[in-house]
Amino acid sequence: MANKTEAAALAGRQMLRRGAVLAAVFGVGAFSVLLARLYHLQITEHSFYEELAISQQLRSVPGTAKRGVIYDCNGNVLAVSASVDNVYLSPAEIEANKEDRALIAGGLSEILGLDYDEVYEKTGRRGSWYVTVARKIEADTAAQIRRFKTDNKLGGVRLETDSKRYYPNGRLACHLLGFVGTDNYGLEGIEARYNEALSGTAGRSLRATNAYGGEMLLKRYEEYRPGEDGCDLVTTVDASIQYYVEKHLRQAVLDYDALNGAGAIAMDVNTGAILAMASLGDYDPNHFLTVSDKAQILADSAATKEEAAAILAEAQARQWRNKALSDTYEPGSTFKIITLAMALEEGKASLGDSFYCGGSTVVQGRTNPIRCWKSGGHGSQNLTQAVQHSCNVAFVNIGQRVGAERFYDYCEAFGFLELSEDPDVNLTARTGIDLSGESGSIWWSRNTFCSKKNLSQLAAASFGQTFTITPLQLITAVSACVNGGRLMEPYVVQRMIAPDGSVTWEHAPKLVRRVISESTSRKVREILEQVVGDPQDGTGRNAAVTGYRIGGKTGTSEKVSLEARTGQKEYIVSFIGFAPADDPKIAILVFLDTPSDKSGIYISGGQMAAPVVGRMMADILPYLGVEPAHDKTEGAVMPNCVGLDLPEAAERLKEANLRCRTIGAGSTVTNQLPAAGTEIAAGTEVILYFDAEISPDVETLPELTGMRYDEARDTLSYYGLYLTTRSSVTDPARQTVGGQSLPAGTQLRHGGVVEVTLIDSGEDLLGKY
Amino acid sequence: MRYDGARLAGLPNTPAAVRRPRFDGPFFVLSMLLLLIGVVMVLSASYPRAWYDPGHVTGGNAAYYFVRQLVFAVLGVGAMMFASCIPMPVYRRTAFSFLLFTLFLLALVPLVGVKANGSRRWLGVGGLTLQPSELAKLAVILSFSALICRYRGKMRSFRYGILPFAGILGAIIGLLVLEPHFSASVIILAVGAVMLFLGGVRIIWFAGAFGAAATGIAVLLTLFPYASSRLISWRDPFSDSSDQGYQIVQSLYTIGSGGLSGLGLGGSRQKFLYLPEEHNDFIFSVVCEELGFIGAALILCLFALLILRGYWIAFHCRDRFSFLVVGGVTSLLAVQVFLNVAVVTNLVPCTGISLPMFSYGGTALLIQLFELGIVLSASRDIPVH
Repeated sequence: MANKTEAAALAGRQMLRRGAVLAAVFGVGAFSVLLARLYHLQITEHSFYEELAISQQLRSVPGTAKRGVIYDCNGNVLAVSASVDNVYLSPAEIEANKEDRALIAGGLSEILGLDYDEVYEKTGRRGSWYVTVARKIEADTAAQIRRFKTDNKLGGVRLETDSKRYYPNGRLACHLLGFVGTDNYGLEGIEARYNEALSGTAGRSLRATNAYGGEMLLKRYEEYRPGEDGCDLVTTVDASIQYYVEKHLRQAVLDYDALNGAGAIAMDVNTGAILAMASLGDYDPNHFLTVSDKAQILADSAATKEEAAAILAEAQARQWRNKALSDTYEPGSTFKIITLAMALEEGKASLGDSFYCGGSTVVQGRTNPIRCWKSGGHGSQNLTQAVQHSCNVAFVNIGQRVGAERFYDYCEAFGFLELSEDPDVNLTARTGIDLSGESGSIWWSRNTFCSKKNLSQLAAASFGQTFTITPLQLITAVSACVNGGRLMEPYVVQRMIAPDGSVTWEHAPKLVRRVISESTSRKVREILEQVVGDPQDGTGRNAAVTGYRIGGKTGTSEKVSLEARTGQKEYIVSFIGFAPADDPKIAILVFLDTPSDKSGIYISGGQMAAPVVGRMMADILPYLGVEPAHDKTEGAVMPNCVGLDLPEAAERLKEANLRCRTIGAGSTVTNQLPAAGTEIAAGTEVILYFDAEISPDVETLPELTGMRYDEARDTLSYYGLYLTTRSSVTDPARQTVGGQSLPAGTQLRHGGVVEVTLIDSGEDLLGKY
Repeated sequence: MRYDGARLAGLPNTPAAVRRPRFDGPFFVLSMLLLLIGVVMVLSASYPRAWYDPGHVTGGNAAYYFVRQLVFAVLGVGAMMFASCIPMPVYRRTAFSFLLFTLFLLALVPLVGVKANGSRRWLGVGGLTLQPSELAKLAVILSFSALICRYRGKMRSFRYGILPFAGILGAIIGLLVLEPHFSASVIILAVGAVMLFLGGVRIIWFAGAFGAAATGIAVLLTLFPYASSRLISWRDPFSDSSDQGYQIVQSLYTIGSGGLSGLGLGGSRQKFLYLPEEHNDFIFSVVCEELGFIGAALILCLFALLILRGYWIAFHCRDRFSFLVVGGVTSLLAVQVFLNVAVVTNLVPCTGISLPMFSYGGTALLIQLFELGIVLSASRDIPVH
């Protein structure tokens, strides 16, 4: 018993001992560990976790800053943003409220024109709080959705404000403007280059939310950080000039079947301001993903989805490409302006010099002789004639007179290549225009170009070959040649206007450098005017606009690299013109990429590009208010015939150099068209009414451009409409209408007068280069 | 008074006939204090989830969880009072019946239990749910205490000291593995070990058991992928903070952002659906966020005091059975508190262990308070001097 008691006592003592161990471990030790851990988390690492927690609890909801408007130089809107709505679903809420998925899918697919099954599938995405159904829908569609939502008490259908970019003029100036993506970020052109200024800074509201993005109960925290709307941009682009340029360029691409499109630039020669810039094929920036029908059909007929996508992507990239800025080409003969300018400036050529062309010339370092385009040669010619003829042989001579080193210096000065210290580096340069996508020229290095043993680079460069530049570089340099010698940096944005209306930034025309002297520039202008103005010898005569002084130069360049690859000859034909020739305001460069001679017209700048520039000038110069050089002596003034009988009236009209037809059966004239005192074209058939009223109908103005002058006059008078011109009429049967004051399609009352500009037409060998 | 083996040894196996009318005051006050704070914290932590009702449980009633918890707290205090009035011998007599009853319920669970989150752990009885594993914890304490008393003096032998206990544990764990219920298994094994430790089993067996447990855990980890993925997210929760590590990362955010003094009672931001189980297993994270390190430490101190008072009562018990039961209940409480806080602070891998008196859960609270009632019952037998 004693043993048992002792054993029990021993066991009891052990129990207490072990109990004490447990109390120490569980009552003190464990809690010490926990407190230490809590101290570590809550005190030592407090700020680390607090920051992470707050960053997940605060939702930053970006507001919308209004994207700035893009205006042309006259305040016409080119791009503007408007509020639109995005439609999205909150499937979690649809599920929570047990909303009718079929009803939602049915309603939305009907209003938005979407596939029912697709919307139905979206309504059932469990656990999601945001599934986009449609983006950027218009106000009336949004109103329908709102009604549908309230009528059916649908909490799971939601709308949010977004903004959409509109380009009210469609394709007009699309490459200059560019476009914005779905996130309203500028992707091309001005939209891309000035994205930061245009977009402003979106305000944002910071808000404490629960894990699902909802309101944090009783703990409302909201802070609004205001943003700022984007700046409006006033550009140098003139929508009217842009319209004329695009219209004639588009017609030219059709007429001459230009396979790879075309481009045109109109520049203010004195400031470098871009008045218009066009590139074809183009696109509608409102639907920038939509490709041409031809490309779409090609994509639709593709074998696989990937192939179709690739075709579409390629077509999109091509239509977005601004050829005037991004393409480089061998400028060909248009570059002779530069060679001419440097030779005159250096005193290596003068108006009295004589140049002989025997059809070809041999150049050191080149096995084949350089041939002139005219196989028999131009014979003896003075400097002006050499330019008029666009004689390669003469220009090889002129280039050699300047010398490779100086030639290279001038190319640097004109901005075709960067000034560089290292003579072995192949050089490039850009104009620095404020547009995205500008390519750089490709030039020989100075050492290659100036090699004593090989003059072939210099020889070819003298007439614009073996290097490539962008069309923009050429027009910038030519502007310098004719504006008095100042190389200006081209630009498109004139000023920025803050949301409060203040002008925050104004472009000051930037002189890059003076390249040639005022007097050299004047000589260049005079010679180039002869290229257009001389109806016998001028290769550019197709660009002539009657009554206006226009200077210019043709260019036809073979795409050499392409010929090397495929053996097929392809050309870029171009013409650069400026007017008025004595005091230039505007320069226009037109180039057609790979035209075809199917139309029967010889592939050359003089035949194809010069008339396009002429038509553009015919529209633009009157628009700019340039006074024609000639007085309008050819016109007639409608006399008053009312109250006269037919013989008296006929006599009076004959004196005024007009013809007439009659309407009605009375004996005296009761009405007449046009009204007395109206200036109209000589020889017009006017209308005399005998006891009859003038019809109140309106007539639709036909397209006159391209018609012969007399044809246009008679067509109009047939409708009771009349023609006037301030161009000099020398030969009504040969002059054609180059531009009209009112566009085709305008509704006019009887007796309305349209002013036209005339250009000389005529084709002979000279125009072929 | 001497707290030595002689006194315990001298005590009869049956307690004195005279019971004190009053139970231990400090133990009661500490439990009530913790219960009160716990119920308030359930209100604070649960109202956002109850209001938003993402799981379609509450119907948007913000007080849903709070009211239920309050009802069970009141019922639980009643159960505690009831338990404190039952003389300890009754527990001893009914210990094995209770164990059999529990085993029966555990066996029912895999057959008719309610399934949630891939496990079948609950028995549903008329709208109430009950985890038999909660009952099993008490059953282990009571039956082990009774057995240790019966085999007193033979506990150092394998036949009496290990075999019967291992059999009981084996049966319970076997049934829990069927559910599966990893965390309850761990707690029950821990409590069983504590009971055997107190009962005088040779230390060498614990060393052996450790080896076996390590092997067992390794086996469990390979058998149950969810357990091993939890282990990975424990080592580096931020590596997978949106999926496996989400819960623990959110818990760390919650605790850490509380700082020294916290965001104030009711001021938690993480409870707005960021932190899962915020009124349940992770309620202590919300406590840390709202009351800060100071508040959390105070609550841990209250728990520590309650636990130390529990051991104090155990040391003063009149009989061996009471000592073992009180020591067991107190240790169970300590293990649960430690494991819960260790989980939410990512000291140990994440598993579902509720915090006694705090975590939402009606029947569990009821059972916990009943267990504390048994401690109070034992305290009535402490001799008066």
